[in-house]
Amino acid sequence: MATAIPAASLAAIGLSWLVSPLSIVIILSVVIGLGMIVLFGYTSDQKAIGVAKDQLKAHLLAVRLYRDQLHVVMGSYGKVLRGTGRYLKLAFKPLLYVIIPITLLIVQLDRYLGLTGIPTNTPFLLTARVNPDALDGVSIDLPEGLTASAPPVHVAADNEVVWRLVANREGAYDVKVSTGGQSAVKTVRVTSQLVGLSPERLRGHFWERLFSSGESALPADSKVESIAVDYPERNIPLGVAGYEMNWIWLFFILSMIAGFIFKELLGIEV
Amino acid sequence: MRKLGGAAIAVRLGKVDVNRRWGKSCRGVRTLSAFLLLAFVLFPAAAHAYAGPGAGFAVLSSFWAIFVAFLYSFYALATWPVRQLFRFFRRRNAYGKAVFNRAVILGFDGMDPELADRFMKEGRLPNLAKLRDKGTFAKLRTTFPAISPVAWSTFMTGVNPGKHNIYDFLARDTQNYLPFLSSAEIKGPKRTINIGKYSIPFGKTEIKAMRKGTPFWHWLGKAGIFSSVIRVPVTFPPEKFQGVLLSGMCVPDLKGSQGTFCLCTTRMAGDKFREGGVRVPVERKNGAFHSYVPGPDNPIAKEAGHEMRVDYEIRPEPALNQAKLVVGKEKLTLKVGEYSEWIPIEFKAGLGFNAHGICRFYLKEISPEVEVYVTPVNIDPGHPDLPISHPVTYSIYLAKLYGAFATLGLAEDTWALNEHVLDDDAFLAQAYGNHHDREQMLFDALEKTQQGLCTCVFDTTDRIQHMFWRYLDDDHPAAREVPKAERKEVIQDLYQRMDKLIGRVMEKIDDDTLLMVISDHGFKSFQRCMNLNAWLHQNGYLTLKDGKTESGDWFEDVDWSKTRAYTMGLNGLYLNLKGREKHGIVDPADAQALQDEIKQKLDGLVDPNSGKVGISGVFATNVVYRGPYAENAPDLLVGYAGGYRASWDSVMGKVTGQIFEDNMKAWSGDHCIDPRLVPGVLFSSHKFVEEKHAIVDVAPTILKLFGLALPSYFDGKAWTLAPKVSAVQAPAVTPAT
Repeated sequence: MATAIPAASLAAIGLSWLVSPLSIVIILSVVIGLGMIVLFGYTSDQKAIGVAKDQLKAHLLAVRLYRDQLHVVMGSYGKVLRGTGRYLKLAFKPLLYVIIPITLLIVQLDRYLGLTGIPTNTPFLLTARVNPDALDGVSIDLPEGLTASAPPVHVAADNEVVWRLVANREGAYDVKVSTGGQSAVKTVRVTSQLVGLSPERLRGHFWERLFSSGESALPADSKVESIAVDYPERNIPLGVAGYEMNWIWLFFILSMIAGFIFKELLGIEV
Repeated sequence: MRKLGGAAIAVRLGKVDVNRRWGKSCRGVRTLSAFLLLAFVLFPAAAHAYAGPGAGFAVLSSFWAIFVAFLYSFYALATWPVRQLFRFFRRRNAYGKAVFNRAVILGFDGMDPELADRFMKEGRLPNLAKLRDKGTFAKLRTTFPAISPVAWSTFMTGVNPGKHNIYDFLARDTQNYLPFLSSAEIKGPKRTINIGKYSIPFGKTEIKAMRKGTPFWHWLGKAGIFSSVIRVPVTFPPEKFQGVLLSGMCVPDLKGSQGTFCLCTTRMAGDKFREGGVRVPVERKNGAFHSYVPGPDNPIAKEAGHEMRVDYEIRPEPALNQAKLVVGKEKLTLKVGEYSEWIPIEFKAGLGFNAHGICRFYLKEISPEVEVYVTPVNIDPGHPDLPISHPVTYSIYLAKLYGAFATLGLAEDTWALNEHVLDDDAFLAQAYGNHHDREQMLFDALEKTQQGLCTCVFDTTDRIQHMFWRYLDDDHPAAREVPKAERKEVIQDLYQRMDKLIGRVMEKIDDDTLLMVISDHGFKSFQRCMNLNAWLHQNGYLTLKDGKTESGDWFEDVDWSKTRAYTMGLNGLYLNLKGREKHGIVDPADAQALQDEIKQKLDGLVDPNSGKVGISGVFATNVVYRGPYAENAPDLLVGYAGGYRASWDSVMGKVTGQIFEDNMKAWSGDHCIDPRLVPGVLFSSHKFVEEKHAIVDVAPTILKLFGLALPSYFDGKAWTLAPKVSAVQAPAVTPAT
């Protein structure tokens, strides 16, 4: 029993670490780094990329070898620029294959890792944008646990109404915004857990919805154009001297490192 | 894909067609992709602009390349005036007294003046004829002996062999009568650390240049004149100077030899190769064939002779007349009779020690037997384990620019053709593949070296004449069975190719450039071999051990206690001198008399079978050489008559029963004969007034034309430009003292 307790504690600590944002980003970076490198390897002209990179290196070396000969130096610089264009062109095709899955993946991940839920007892803003003719009649229905801490502000120039709200306990709240006999619902997550968040619910705007909304579209004839909640941005503590970082930068760095290691191990030219 | 002949070109064309088809079918995808990319541009949320590590690497690498290039260029531009000023004060104006802005010297190893003259008269060499008419065409006196490493050493140093210490490819160790490479000595680190089964070398490999003297491009460099020197023989190890240099003849392969090919075969009953190659078994396992490329001995294994190997797999596809080869990470498909590109291979010694090489695979046969020829494993120019260029980055630069290339000194595998491992076409494809690479290097050097010296030696001329002279003679023993109708005009084609190269070079130069085309020696037929050791034996100068009538390689059965003279290498004859050779018996006081006696007997020696003179001259080296290293030379140089040469056995210190025999090998032309019979060739774009020219004169001539004083130790004399040019432009040159 005496040893079981520390073991259970360790397991709990390990599990909590595994589900922490930092560990999730690390694991995702390694897995995605590997996946993307393999995909890049399969979809690119490896030989041509190798040649293009070699040519770039050659022109760089030429600048050093013939540094006293200005015509060579300048000519090589021009060749480096042209070679870079050629290299980017070759990287373009695999980029096209990679771009759709990785974009969708990152959008989804950003909902979990890019923002934090609203903390309890902390005011936050909810903004509704409506049709110009519906601005005057906008009202809000707040579920139990959610209260307005200030009167709404009408921003006529933007056709917006802004409420300052506060929650006294955690939960998923459906806020109803009504105007001109129509209503629209927006979910507000008040939580300290890692959950998927949708900062905005939109009418139409397919591309914008794809990238920034996790909820269904508002009806096309709705007088409410959008309802947005300003969730705080999440910074992931690195555990080193109090440094924090946005997950996308951390993902960028870690997936690059993972990609570099895997490209060497797998012999893939990037 | 390097230029490897018809099949390879066909493959290349096929690839282009595939790309075209792929291009058409891709248009829809591209439109969609462009649309998606536009979406990215229109919605540039930071979190979505990153498309994985592949794209990240691409973008970062591109910016990095531009950034580094910008930094380099900025540095070069910013510091250029300072460096020019520094050079001005240090060297004054480097080109102030130069007659020409640039000198381009093309070395066509072995180009023969008589053949060149004949082909010019037949109208086959229009560009060389232009040089002849406008400038100079003359015979170029070669060295004693007329062997490439000797002659090119004299070319670059401007001195006789007694001052540069190169007398042949091989020299002999006076302590054991065994040969060693005359141009360089490679020694591993002296200290080692023993860990388990490993003996790890501690320190640097020592590569000592045996060639003495100073190449003339060092003098140019000291005066601030830049040089690009490509594949001039005996430039390994490369020495520092102001310019770039790629080493040529005498660069070893990764095994340390002068080229060891490998025949991987399921036929194991073949004869052992005389020299230059090994036979490796191909074994069938699990439906595929397996073999290996033999590499150098493991440098960190405690036990000596532990050869490193790289395994590879052959999967024949008889229906397609091809095979798939898997060599490490490389997967190749080769048609029968096709070469691969240069394939990088890595020999793993253990503990992270690797040796990097490149080789090419040639699929000889897939049915009924499987045979793959593998070239000698060359030092990888992109990852050189030994220095093969100055600066080291020069070979890397060339490899990155044009792909891997042959670095071995004798890159054209003449032994494989001699041993019938390669046929004529396969040899020519290999030789012209290397030649193509060399041309690329030359034109790059011409572009980069707008001022100064640009020199490049082409070996193709030498190798192809060696191997195809048999088709030029009516009655060469090595081609008697080949009907005349089937004899190819290989040498004529070679000269025409070289002429076209000259034409392209002439398009790149102006009148302020001196173009010289030179060869180190000419060529003659090699129909009859003479075993000089057999002659020495039969004339009582060389004695075999009791009961022996012949001796194996390297004097295996020679009784040194009774031997007064011996020969090894191509032309050198040595006295077994007391106090010099370990078992020397000839008293130095008697040496001159013995030398004279042998000279007298050999000079004019007649071949009893043909009735022709086999030796047209014997030369005492104490007469023809002078200099601090003359004592390392052979005592006599044997000048064979046209049609004759030292036998293959004699070169390797073997004593046979027969003195003269027919040369039945593909190696059917040669120049290692009486140097008076095989002068080289000199073409130049500007006329020189002298009527006689020698290869030893080239170095002083170039220094003079760049307005530099000539070192006093030079043996050559600088030529003078014909009055039209020299009266106007030629500066006063400090005479040699």
